[in-house]
Amino acid sequence: MSLQNVLTNWSQYRKTHEDGGFYDYEHMWGMSVDLNKCTGCNACSVACYAENNLAVVGKEKFDKGQGMHWMRVERYWDEPDLAAGESTEFSEHGGSFLPMMCQQCNAATCEPVCPVAATYHTPDGLNAQVYNRCIGSRYCSNNCPYRLRYFNFYSYYESSWPEPLNMQLNPDLSVRDKGVMEKCTFCVQRIRVAKDTASRENQALVDGDITPACVQTCPTKALVFGDLINTESKLSKLWASHEVELGKTEQHKKNKEKRGYRVFEELNTDPCVMYLERVKEV
Amino acid sequence: MSGNDINRRKFLKVMGWGGAGAALAGCDMPTTVTLEEGKETVVSYLMPEEYVIPGQGVYFASTCQQCPAGCGVHGRVREGRVLKLEGNAVSPINEGGLCQMGQAGVQTHYNPDRLTKPLLRKGGSLSEVTWEEALAALDEKIGANSSVEGGKVAWMTGTVSGHQSVLLEGLLESLGGAKHYVYDLINNHVAAQVNEAMYGTTRPTYHLTKAKAVLSFGADLVGVSQSPVHFAAEYAKFREAPRGVLIQVEPNMSLTGGNADLWVPAKPGTEGALAMGIAHELINNHGKDASALPSGLNGKIKAYDLAKVETLTGVPTDKVKSIAKILAEKAPSLILTGASIESSENGYAATAAAAMLNVLLGNVGETITSSGGFPFPQLDAKTGSGADLLQFADAAGKGAIDVVFFHGVNPVFTAPGYLDLEAGLGKIPFKVSLSLFADETTNQADLVLPLASALEDWGTHVPAYQPEQSVIAMQQPLMEKLYPATKGFGDILLDMLKLRKVEGYTDFSDYYAFLQDAFAALPAEFKNGVDNASFWNQTLASGFISIPKQNASITANALDIAVTLPGENINYGLSLLPAIRLGMWDGRHANIPWLQEAPDQITKAVWGSWAEIHPKTASRLGLATGDFIKVESVKGDVEVPVYVYRGVFPDSVAVSVGQGHQAYGRYAEGRGVNPLTILDSATDGKTGEPALYGTRVKVSKVAVNKDEILVQFGGSESQVGRKLAATITAEVFNRTEGA
Repeated sequence: MSLQNVLTNWSQYRKTHEDGGFYDYEHMWGMSVDLNKCTGCNACSVACYAENNLAVVGKEKFDKGQGMHWMRVERYWDEPDLAAGESTEFSEHGGSFLPMMCQQCNAATCEPVCPVAATYHTPDGLNAQVYNRCIGSRYCSNNCPYRLRYFNFYSYYESSWPEPLNMQLNPDLSVRDKGVMEKCTFCVQRIRVAKDTASRENQALVDGDITPACVQTCPTKALVFGDLINTESKLSKLWASHEVELGKTEQHKKNKEKRGYRVFEELNTDPCVMYLERVKEV
Repeated sequence: MSGNDINRRKFLKVMGWGGAGAALAGCDMPTTVTLEEGKETVVSYLMPEEYVIPGQGVYFASTCQQCPAGCGVHGRVREGRVLKLEGNAVSPINEGGLCQMGQAGVQTHYNPDRLTKPLLRKGGSLSEVTWEEALAALDEKIGANSSVEGGKVAWMTGTVSGHQSVLLEGLLESLGGAKHYVYDLINNHVAAQVNEAMYGTTRPTYHLTKAKAVLSFGADLVGVSQSPVHFAAEYAKFREAPRGVLIQVEPNMSLTGGNADLWVPAKPGTEGALAMGIAHELINNHGKDASALPSGLNGKIKAYDLAKVETLTGVPTDKVKSIAKILAEKAPSLILTGASIESSENGYAATAAAAMLNVLLGNVGETITSSGGFPFPQLDAKTGSGADLLQFADAAGKGAIDVVFFHGVNPVFTAPGYLDLEAGLGKIPFKVSLSLFADETTNQADLVLPLASALEDWGTHVPAYQPEQSVIAMQQPLMEKLYPATKGFGDILLDMLKLRKVEGYTDFSDYYAFLQDAFAALPAEFKNGVDNASFWNQTLASGFISIPKQNASITANALDIAVTLPGENINYGLSLLPAIRLGMWDGRHANIPWLQEAPDQITKAVWGSWAEIHPKTASRLGLATGDFIKVESVKGDVEVPVYVYRGVFPDSVAVSVGQGHQAYGRYAEGRGVNPLTILDSATDGKTGEPALYGTRVKVSKVAVNKDEILVQFGGSESQVGRKLAATITAEVFNRTEGA
């Protein structure tokens, strides 16, 4: 993808929500996170470190908010929907655990602000980050309402992978260096392998051929990954059954009690990750 | 014929299938066995050439060794390196899932602080030696021609099972009277003894999926449990519509408590009284049949009216009533116990009181069934207990041990400080540590034998907790050894058996050869009707051998035991609670950078220690999150930053376990504090288990230590009204998603 190509086809890299053009994509990878099953155990996050060569930054830098956890588990103590704040004597319903990874927005707020088109939308519906084009302006991170972009403030290769820890590095993707933005890719290297294998064998990709590292390891199978364009995929059916649709800033559900929702969809980001509400006996 | 029979019995014993009794009766397996002990030249199995396709990962099955649960893993191997571990989808233990500790197994393996050569203490310091020298030193101490007194030899291991256990027992037997101490800080020894008394088995099988409600007294099912990934998978099914209700009673929040529908803190040490109160309510207001219980116990329950229970436990009457109501309405239910109730001064009695509820509620035979037994007692898991540690410390202190071997334990770090194990070890003339790392115990050793990592070694493992399907889990190397001068546990045991010249073991060239013969000797009925070579290959491919469970019924007798309560201590007004979580575990994972940087699930703290305190207590003491406190018991003190939240019982302080290492490599050393050093000497009277929750402390504010500040992930404890993690009620959920 030369610079010339980027400049010539600029509009192609600038699909916005209003285009309504996402169905000409080959795939649209998406996810579902069932908060009724998620225990907040953190397995997904560590699996992501293992798969995606995420740097360990150490205590001091972590304190400055420089941790590189593409997949992170947030924990809240209040429950706004149950009108339960932090005033009761005990957290009687436990915590609210929320796994957060790049929401792969269709109308991604990070994309239009990149001065060099390092972040753009792929024909797979992925919000991609081209590391060697990134100049580190950090505009994208500033513009992400989910705070899911992580910047390499330092070069971590020496500090994070002293020998022989470096032998564990996944050769399917690079180790990012200082000055580069990075984020969850839905394990694009696994998507690539599955697509290449399918095309080499003259087969169509089948639902379930691709499993990102977080989804694979989840002990409670709270995470589901799939293609939202393939209406037969497990994921598409899940979205349909919870009456969540792409391209909306507000879901008009026939059954308002269905659990599906997208975080901050009212911001018109059109995220490809659906959450299923946490459930509590009250 | 009878001669053959004896040989066969002996042979089966060497191979680990001995004692199978009924399982082997009448099977004419031996005719198919050809015994060529160790005669073949073993070419490393590693990467037969056709598997090495540059750029392509190949997955091999093995078994995770990050905790004793025995989860099946698939290691992704590329160009001769293992890159990633994933759960084995067909393993009945973990069904494809893997926890964060399992994911981090590669960082144990590739850890930059691994031991690479044998070390022998010469003139006070450890220096590198060859294996020949190391074995010569061992030969001198325990060899067949040494003057070793078997009774003065001891082994201390963590949970051990499978064929490693067979070799170890063979070695201990040859030493005559050598004692095997099995110690794990995280154990369920108290519950096991209650189970034994109630059900006649230490390990019944629990069926979360059949339960409509679970009342857990500190059982951290999805976190620090006997099988975290298995129970997490069960938990997910339990939460499908119609959704099961989880009530968690514990003094400080565990990961499981963090997922409860109702999290109820009881005053530490009074959970048994709460169980009696719930029984009282079930009998008096929900018509539960008291005749299911021994009459003496009934009399005791009568004394626990709810007003009294509230006074004793701090749990309001309406909470006890709602717990009883849920249990009465949602049958069958399941009552479980964990460390906070078991590991207290009255742990056995309190655990028995909680378990009694299962009898009263008619859960036995429904959600609790027989484990079905495991046909190979030689291979079965020997799980650790804290009582073994106390006995070991006692023997060491008396000078009753001449030679000790450590494997899979780090007692100098995990033992309560008052035991002063370092001094005790000083009285043992020859200490041998089989270890991957220079941990606190290994640094005390006179001979250090560097182990191959779990990803470089052979082994079989029998999980202590076997779910619906029993397995013998297979561990195989996923790559060549990183360090040629490290050795597998089985190989080292074989070396020692050879030094002892123990008949039956001396001919094996290595542990791989032993395992192959052992597999060949497995009774044919377990081999799916295939020949030995195919069976071996099948097992390596699948990662485990399935062992059918026998259907056995279970009956239970509730135990008639009086619950006692801990005494007060005016000078030390707070209870010390150890916060043990999935991640650091008992401190063994403090040297893994991914796990240091993975936030604690509840407090979201990273890279250090913290103390959890309730807002009420914090305001009384003038403390806020980030302040430093001195936590002081009669045995010592630690200084640690505070995290204030509503997940801990007032008048107690929960200090995280796992940090405070004085050795153990660059990531662990000199970081945080170890609250185990200030534990008091309380034990459970019945089982002799150390009471981890039985220490009283006082707390005072001290100056901030800049090196040990509390660093947490995330800035907000509150969603500030935004729809981030939204919640609906179970009623709605069951209506929309129920069948």
